[in-house]
Amino acid sequence: MSYEAPSPMNAITRINILQGQARVSAGPRVEFSTVLGSCVATCLFDPDVEVGGMNHFLLAEPPQGSHSGDFDEHYGVYLMELLINEMLAHGAAKSRMRAHLYGGANLNSGFARIGTKNAEFARSFLASERINVVREDLGGNNARRVDFRPARGQVRCRTVENTLAPEIKPTARPLPNRGDVELF
Amino acid sequence: MSKNTRILTVDDSASMRALLNHALTSQGFDVAQAEDGEVALEWLALNEVDVVITDINMPRLDGFGLIEKLRQGNRHRDRPILVLTTESSEEKKARARSAGATGWIVKPFDPEKLVAAVRRVAH
Repeated sequence: MSYEAPSPMNAITRINILQGQARVSAGPRVEFSTVLGSCVATCLFDPDVEVGGMNHFLLAEPPQGSHSGDFDEHYGVYLMELLINEMLAHGAAKSRMRAHLYGGANLNSGFARIGTKNAEFARSFLASERINVVREDLGGNNARRVDFRPARGQVRCRTVENTLAPEIKPTARPLPNRGDVELF
Repeated sequence: MSKNTRILTVDDSASMRALLNHALTSQGFDVAQAEDGEVALEWLALNEVDVVITDINMPRLDGFGLIEKLRQGNRHRDRPILVLTTESSEEKKARARSAGATGWIVKPFDPEKLVAAVRRVAH
């Protein structure tokens, strides 16, 4: 019996999805990975065209002095829309999309319940867009690592040491130049 | 006192429509909403409006198609149309401009900047 070295053809291309990113692929050897604390990752998959995508977001906390207590949903809506539009550009249809949601942990009990807010936002966004959530692993106090094969819709979610989760620095306004207007 | 400025927002995302509705009605604008270009055209055939704010990526009729159709007809040839989109490419922006868009705003939008732009272009 001869030993067969693993061919580079079969190698998995692992792409880390960082906070604020959304990526879509139909590549059979692509795997999206991310580590989540309070952040939420959405995985979308369209089985008909075998394309999938992942985003990773954290809602901004209420501006200082705000009494509403509302987290800023603009950034979350933006990253959801970015992901959905990229799926559509790859031939997916919204009506066929299936969603997985992960993350939204409250790592520090002393903190505002940032993870819970992010999880609630993700659920309500998908409900209002009528995208079916087929699996979710949200909340708790532990960080998670998510590995997603976009072309097959396969997800593996594991609990990891909280120290592995990226340091979160929630800012009141993540994008100071956002929404700039250019009149023609 | 002048009548309220009427705005039609066109976006296929229900969450984005909710954000826009809140941002605009809280500043005193009258807001109507459509979920794609086809619905917008049907609504605009029967209703008057001061400003249209449209997304680009939508099913059935996208933002480019909507702008082109509005510019081809008489009724809305001079209507201010602001594009509000996740698209950041220069090519798409140039396409919107040549189709007849009045302005270009990249999401996520800032409510204050959006309202300022609407006030500026509203006739």
